[in-house]
Amino acid sequence: MYQGAVASLLETVIMIERQRGAGRPMARIGAGAPYDSARPGAVWGQATDGFNRWVAGDPAGLDDLVSVMTPVLWHVVRAYRLSEQAAEDVIQTTWLALVRRRAAIVDPVAVGGWLTTTARREAWRVSNGSAGATPVEDEELAPMLPRQRSAEESVVQEDEGNRIWAAVDGLPERCRRLLRIVAFENRPDYRELASELGMPVGSIGPTRGRCLAKLRVALMQAGGV
Amino acid sequence: MSELSRDALLAIVRDVWEKHDPPPEHLVHSMQAVAAMAASDLDVELMELVERSTELAGVRGSTAYTLRFVHGDTDLLLRVAVDGPRSRVDGWIVPPEPMTVRAIAGTEPASHDAVVSDSGRFELTDLPLGMLRLRIEPHDTSRPAFATPTFEI
Repeated sequence: MYQGAVASLLETVIMIERQRGAGRPMARIGAGAPYDSARPGAVWGQATDGFNRWVAGDPAGLDDLVSVMTPVLWHVVRAYRLSEQAAEDVIQTTWLALVRRRAAIVDPVAVGGWLTTTARREAWRVSNGSAGATPVEDEELAPMLPRQRSAEESVVQEDEGNRIWAAVDGLPERCRRLLRIVAFENRPDYRELASELGMPVGSIGPTRGRCLAKLRVALMQAGGV
Repeated sequence: MSELSRDALLAIVRDVWEKHDPPPEHLVHSMQAVAAMAASDLDVELMELVERSTELAGVRGSTAYTLRFVHGDTDLLLRVAVDGPRSRVDGWIVPPEPMTVRAIAGTEPASHDAVVSDSGRFELTDLPLGMLRLRIEPHDTSRPAFATPTFEI
């Protein structure tokens, strides 16, 4: 299902590119939206719902909030090149902060954003501080090393899904991080992102645009166009 | 760039990361335990984890690590180790003062405790494996109890 969806989406993206290049109207837009575009939005609503039930006295609300937001926090935190253990510590710190400071969350609708922002700040702090001093095992370091595709790997990557992964994974580090954060977060604060990425505030939007353009090109190349 | 292609591209990014670097399987369950335990114990001051290190760095199957927590002027160093089918915690509190340390496993009532020695040391043995936290109660009852966040053995 995953493979099919990605393949057909890729086709759509490529189709749009071709049509744009040829100056024809983009007749195929919207023809097949294989992704549930409501899905990322649904997460934030569920987070608010869980938070509201918890504050109203239902412990299951907290369970649901943790269950729906922990995977989102994982992806945001891992964008900072933290080891699995360090990422788990950051996520734990984030949940403790929520429980301890729940009174500070005035607007329940914003609870998802409060969590991702808190996690991002903590991930940023940890990645700057002790990252070099904490001994980690090789298998944790492996995913953080620069990717180099061997000839053998290139053959294996005939597989559609792998080729799409290679396109995302092969992006420059700054693009990989920025797009992963933007993809999982709900309207991240560009001012903070800019300072974390060492970029001028006004350049996040354009950089995101360039990173998306790079990804589109990489996907088209991966698709053999 | 049209809205559609931007959203579509971000959906691809989400999808590949979900597939290639998913959260560890235990993570949601552990975090639910962490949050529930913290929520059930809101009156206790929480120590902050400031350092974690693994002994025998790089060696697979290493079964001991150290944690350092701080709370105000109190510094707590823990060595957590697997001891056969059970586990043990060796601790050192600076500055030393008369305190009782209780190990709380899961949400069960405290079943293991130790008194801090004059040198600030204490040990807790025969602990279960799994999620654990320590609650530290100064004998000077004018001082509030405090606790570590949950950690795993």
